[in-house]
Amino acid sequence: MITDDQLLNELEKRFRENKDSVLQLKKMTSELKEVNKKLEESEALKTHFISNITNEIINPFAAILGLSRNILDVKKENWDKVISMVHLIHSEAFNLDFQLKNVFAAAKLEAGEWVPDIMNVDVNQLIASTLDSFKFEAAKRRIELYYDFDVSPGIEKSFYFLTDPEKLKIMISNLLSNAIKYSHSESEVHVKAWLENDGLCVSVIDKGIGVSEENKKIIFDRFKRVDNGINSVNRGHGLGLSVNKAIIDLLGGTIEMNSIANQETVFTICIPQDEKSFENDAMASDGNEFLFDGDGDEIF
Amino acid sequence: MEIKTHFLYPSTLFFSREPHLVNTILGSCVAVCLYDPVNHTGGINHYMLPFWNGEGLASPKYGNIAIERLLDKMLSSGSKKNNLIAKVFGGAEVIDTQVSQFHIGERNIEVAQRTLKELNIRISGQSLGGKNGRKIQFNTETGAVLQKIITRQVADLKK
Repeated sequence: MITDDQLLNELEKRFRENKDSVLQLKKMTSELKEVNKKLEESEALKTHFISNITNEIINPFAAILGLSRNILDVKKENWDKVISMVHLIHSEAFNLDFQLKNVFAAAKLEAGEWVPDIMNVDVNQLIASTLDSFKFEAAKRRIELYYDFDVSPGIEKSFYFLTDPEKLKIMISNLLSNAIKYSHSESEVHVKAWLENDGLCVSVIDKGIGVSEENKKIIFDRFKRVDNGINSVNRGHGLGLSVNKAIIDLLGGTIEMNSIANQETVFTICIPQDEKSFENDAMASDGNEFLFDGDGDEIF
Repeated sequence: MEIKTHFLYPSTLFFSREPHLVNTILGSCVAVCLYDPVNHTGGINHYMLPFWNGEGLASPKYGNIAIERLLDKMLSSGSKKNNLIAKVFGGAEVIDTQVSQFHIGERNIEVAQRTLKELNIRISGQSLGGKNGRKIQFNTETGAVLQKIITRQVADLKK
């Protein structure tokens, strides 16, 4: 026999449990809704992207063609006038090249067919040349680029690091491009590189508009741009940071952002030296017996 | 003739008509090998998380995408779905994954098993779960997979 008290307790307990599971269910449903919304958004953005990119490719090409035609028509005595047009051609071609690289990178990453191609990289040289390629873009908005290389005091210039140079360059280019894009004109962009726990870290720092709290969550999603507003003058597809994130995952590194609106935004990437795949390449020639020596191996 | 080798990185997949030995290291990640015994071809993926939730790129870092992409590769190379068999490895709960309290390994395994079942692809061999990482080598020509359990500490096994 149960007493009334026990019965009441039991009832209360069950009601509580019931309430808990309803709450949990509600939570899960709202999480599901969130994911669903994201997927829908992603699909919409993708459609938008495809219609957008046609313009983004055709317009620069039209500009390049038009400008170069103009140059061809210029008489020899007026050749000094050509330089401004050459600047425009360079700028259009540079942007086109940069954006197409990102589109192809994203496509290859999504196909899962872009593997790290590890070699000994002169990091200092790689970063300096990346900066150099952006000097005209920066000059257009009167932004000064500074570079601080601090990995090997004493050894100075040549510092070699095992990584994938192409992917490192794309990541730094994306950070630089964003830093320049979202900077106020006549400001500064700093790039710093240093060693930390045997890994390489690179920071890109700008004094621009910054990233708002709500945008911090979405900046690594594809096709997202923080200034989707009507007065957006910036071009691009919002692929850069999602490409960076995927490359960072591939190289086993980290990417972090700290931003104070209208003061300073710092993006830092850190990647480990990739000796693992180097070893594996080395082992591939003769190391299979070493790898699988029959001792404790299982065959499926 | 010596057979070519390939090291499979996390979030990537591999397929080639040419025979290859594919090596990869698995912690909580899962690798699905698909093998076609008629054409003697095979492909393998290596995913880190079960589902793509709209974050970042829709890459084969996520199981639902990785399995689908791999199957597409096999089919477009002339394999028939009915001929395919699957072998599934990984999904360990390596020690330091209590940080992500979600049992990634277990959920990665579940995605593989459920998706393959839905696709009607038979799992002919598997080595799943546990606490230790695995080093596997997949022979895409014969479909054989060699496995070595790694007891080494976690630093390398997070993937």
